[in-house]
Amino acid sequence: MNLPISRRDAIARFGGGLGTLGLMASLPGTMSALPNPGASARTLPHFRPRAKRVIHLFMNGGPFGPDFFDPKPDLNKFAGQRPEDADLRTERPTGGLLPVPFKFSNHGKSGLPVSELLPLTAQFADDLCVLRSMHTDNPNHGPALLLMNNGTMTPRVPAMGAWCSYGLGTENANLPSYVVLCPGRPVRFSILWTSAFLPSQHGGSYINHSNLDPKAMIPWLHNPRTTPDAQRKQLDLLAEMNREHLATRGGADAALQGRIEAMETAYRMQFAATDAFDITRESAAVRENYGKGHFANGCLMARRLAERGVRFIQVYYGDGQPWDTHSNHDASTRKLGANIDRPIAALLGDLKQRGLLEDTLVVWGGEFGRTPVSENGNGRDHNPHGFCMFLAGGGARGGMGYGETDRFGFKAVKQRMHVHDLHATLLHLLGVDHERLTFRYAGRDFRLTDVHGNVAREILA
Amino acid sequence: MVALGLATVLAACVAPDEHGSTVKVAPQPTLPQRPWSFEPLGESALPKVRNTAWPQRDVDFFLLTAMEKKDFKPAAPADARTLIRRLHFDLTGLPPAPGEVEAFVRTCNDGNQKAETEKLVARLLASPHYGERWGRYWLDLARYVDETASWLEKTSSAHLYRDWVIKAFNDDLPYDQFVMRQIATDQMGLPPADRHALGFLGLAPTYWKELQLPPDIIKGTVADEWEEHVDTLSRTFLGLTLACARCHNHKSDPITHEDYYAVAGVFASVRHAERPTMGDEFWLPVKKARASVVALEKERDQLKKKKPVPADFTNQVAVLEKKITDFKTGTPHFNMAMATAVEDAALFVIPAANNKGTTLSFQPGKARDLELMKRGDPNKLGDIVPRRFLSAFPAKDGQPRRFTTGSGRLELAQAIVQEAAPLTARVIVNRVWKHHFGRGIVDTPSEFGFTGEAPSHPELLNDLSARFVKNGWSIKWLHREILLSAAWQQNSIASESELRDPENKLVARMPRRRLDFEAWRDTTLAVAGTIDRSFGGVATPLTSDKNVRRTLYGTVNRHELEPMLRIHDFPDPAAHSASRTETATALQMLFSLNSPFLLAQADALAARLEKEAGDSLNARVTRAHGILFQRAPTAKELALAARFLVGRETDKKAWSEYAQALLASNETQFVD
Repeated sequence: MNLPISRRDAIARFGGGLGTLGLMASLPGTMSALPNPGASARTLPHFRPRAKRVIHLFMNGGPFGPDFFDPKPDLNKFAGQRPEDADLRTERPTGGLLPVPFKFSNHGKSGLPVSELLPLTAQFADDLCVLRSMHTDNPNHGPALLLMNNGTMTPRVPAMGAWCSYGLGTENANLPSYVVLCPGRPVRFSILWTSAFLPSQHGGSYINHSNLDPKAMIPWLHNPRTTPDAQRKQLDLLAEMNREHLATRGGADAALQGRIEAMETAYRMQFAATDAFDITRESAAVRENYGKGHFANGCLMARRLAERGVRFIQVYYGDGQPWDTHSNHDASTRKLGANIDRPIAALLGDLKQRGLLEDTLVVWGGEFGRTPVSENGNGRDHNPHGFCMFLAGGGARGGMGYGETDRFGFKAVKQRMHVHDLHATLLHLLGVDHERLTFRYAGRDFRLTDVHGNVAREILA
Repeated sequence: MVALGLATVLAACVAPDEHGSTVKVAPQPTLPQRPWSFEPLGESALPKVRNTAWPQRDVDFFLLTAMEKKDFKPAAPADARTLIRRLHFDLTGLPPAPGEVEAFVRTCNDGNQKAETEKLVARLLASPHYGERWGRYWLDLARYVDETASWLEKTSSAHLYRDWVIKAFNDDLPYDQFVMRQIATDQMGLPPADRHALGFLGLAPTYWKELQLPPDIIKGTVADEWEEHVDTLSRTFLGLTLACARCHNHKSDPITHEDYYAVAGVFASVRHAERPTMGDEFWLPVKKARASVVALEKERDQLKKKKPVPADFTNQVAVLEKKITDFKTGTPHFNMAMATAVEDAALFVIPAANNKGTTLSFQPGKARDLELMKRGDPNKLGDIVPRRFLSAFPAKDGQPRRFTTGSGRLELAQAIVQEAAPLTARVIVNRVWKHHFGRGIVDTPSEFGFTGEAPSHPELLNDLSARFVKNGWSIKWLHREILLSAAWQQNSIASESELRDPENKLVARMPRRRLDFEAWRDTTLAVAGTIDRSFGGVATPLTSDKNVRRTLYGTVNRHELEPMLRIHDFPDPAAHSASRTETATALQMLFSLNSPFLLAQADALAARLEKEAGDSLNARVTRAHGILFQRAPTAKELALAARFLVGRETDKKAWSEYAQALLASNETQFVD
């Protein structure tokens, strides 16, 4: 059940972001998010957005680019060796170059190389913008996860999804604006989607979708005792008492009105969220198209949430760090590849078919990459110096590879793209100038990109 | 690339801009001028007012003269019912019992409102629940947690710091003492039992340091920790954003780049430590016995793993178990409480012996001065900066106080309450004011420099802070000055003031305030009659349906904040929180509508109404309004209840639904 959203709902505190501030000011009866004096942005978006929402497919643990999108024949040519001219040192002891057993071919009109691990996703080659020259600052999962998600390695600043919710608000007041799907718990857990010093409604709503019953996923979504009709009657009583209370207090207190409205939103959310998170309402054909498994379910749920106007959706691949292949790298990667290929292809196809890919930015990648040299004989260590991600839709130029790593896929060497640059670019696609989306806290104007970040203009469609 | 993180964001430290009443920054390298808040305190002559009948306390003269200048009149006084509700929530975070309300109203109606209110304030300030209410405010500043991530420093005695804070408020520990003890009680010649006060430092966030990484990276993480400690210390006690000077001179306040490192050196000279809370004569035997127990337990566990199982296995285990029990029961104070504290030890981040990775080298009892870090980068060092207090606050000899004893914690604490006393006093007075009035005289309670808001009533804050210091830094004195003022006892309904001064900067009315989550949940338990009012002790999870303790005793986990707290505006305990943002979100309302907690309390409240008011619908509804709202229901409210319950007057479920609606209502959550 998707109920129509009133103007007032859209700006209720639940989803009121900066983007709606102008509107709020014109509605005195509404509890608005307090305009922060440090919020230098008066109107958002700053310019025409190409993307309205983001789906971030997070390969927690860190995939190795040359397995998927960054072919490096020299790895196989020099297998087992450590060529003297290359500095391949990382934090842990590593051996010689570990060859990549996966075959590459060119796909689409663009001829973008994609390995045999992703045959279905490869059919969307012309929609993919592969970032081959990503790099980050720290080879540990925790700091790297924080940098990717929160823009800083110190665990006390808001997540990028929270910034987007704060800056742009929500398109659907009946759902949280920032949803995090993970069938378990990624390393560092809830700090990765924290609102930190931003108002708390901008923090990610964490959903463990290993149980697909929406009642199990969202706390307090369902009242075990009552029926919708009986609850409606109870709410009518409550609303009348609240209106009476308000009337005897001058009738214009925004805080009192804000709670009255939020209560109604909550009533509707019970149905809206139950509907949005319930993938069993999809046809058998659609379910089959996405395939089985937690990641497939997460991708399908992400599509349902994107359709309903959720601003920022993250799908973590799995519990812990499944992509952290310190041993048995090839066998694990083959399995992981098979598990993501069908769901990603289904998601891209679905979004495209529904006309949503145009303004939905899909982001794929981990917190860092892996080493070209072996660890434990057949594993790969963490590598912050060079890794791959891809963007699709939402104004990213399809069918292109951006940047280069060295001949072994170790370090980003051309058109290097730091995580801050990714964030700047992502915000740019959402119509936000990353230097102007700020929040004053503890005497400073904080922003997602710290004092860094350059928009990679070459990748804008 | 070096781990810079927050270090570099400091370059983004704000200069004052067009917002608020800030002033232009002088160009570097000239330091900005001293802000108003650094100036000495002084009592002022009471300003002249036209309406001489209105003021009750000194603060009223300052407020009234500002109102009169803008042609405002104060709102009418609040009635007795409103007043007793307001007082109870302000001081204890719990509603008054119906009997207390009626007695208070009767006496007030007899014309004794002023004396009766004074008595009530005294009684509430003496209530042990007072410390729970005001201690929790302090814990927001101190980014208090019960638990942190498993891979970080342990916080197993956190609750003893929380209880220390509660007790300090209840005992009206002079605020200057309160400050000093949290920084340096172990260096003040106080009994070791007071070491729990050091939880302010001992519960500070630490960050994961992967020692396989090179020192360049680990130094960045350590420098970020020091920055957090400097930030929390300076914002909590001084209302200064000293951390802004990690990379360069502060852009708007007279704080130098060197000042930051002069203070950060104190934190480079301490480490987290669990410390005994009794003297060495008790502690040393306990320490020895505990070590023996650990060794014996290890021996026992190894024995249990032994293959093949030794012949006299059972006997051997029994012998070990007996020895363990003997140590535990035979050593006096074996279970002595340990304080989650700090101790002096200088930290040096050095390459590991094999040159692979990093060693954190702590040198107990030593202190270190830090080198200035250029642009905050721990790998770009400048000259050594001796530990000392801020140059803007020189001691009597004209120089900032040097920190020479141990880490310098005690000297730092002394400087905060002596050289910086005007600032320290203004900051706490303003915090207390803000909790009572909903808005501070300075509404940026942890920013008293030029980036913060200018004071709405500078002379008032000056005078009140001076008298606060003169009255022995007594917080309870301060409460009385505020609560017995005519200003605080105004009505919250004042349409002209609402219209002309929506932010209530002139305090020409009492603002309507929403209860924070703690007070609302506690109220729910109190009116349902289920509340467990016991004090202190280990925190327990709020998720448990059986948890009916006051909310401040619910477990706070820094790594994973309980959703119930998170959705209700509880601040992120990873950092100092100057004040809470208030939101009204649908997720909060879902909690009201559907949570097992609220359903259970609604059942209990319904049962209480039945027990206390019998079978009559009107009597039960009347009782409900008395318990929750301290007043009788209106005819309309009685009719609403009757309509909702018609045909279901004996249905417990219907009454529970009615009770739940009352608990979730605006009148329950707001205080006029």
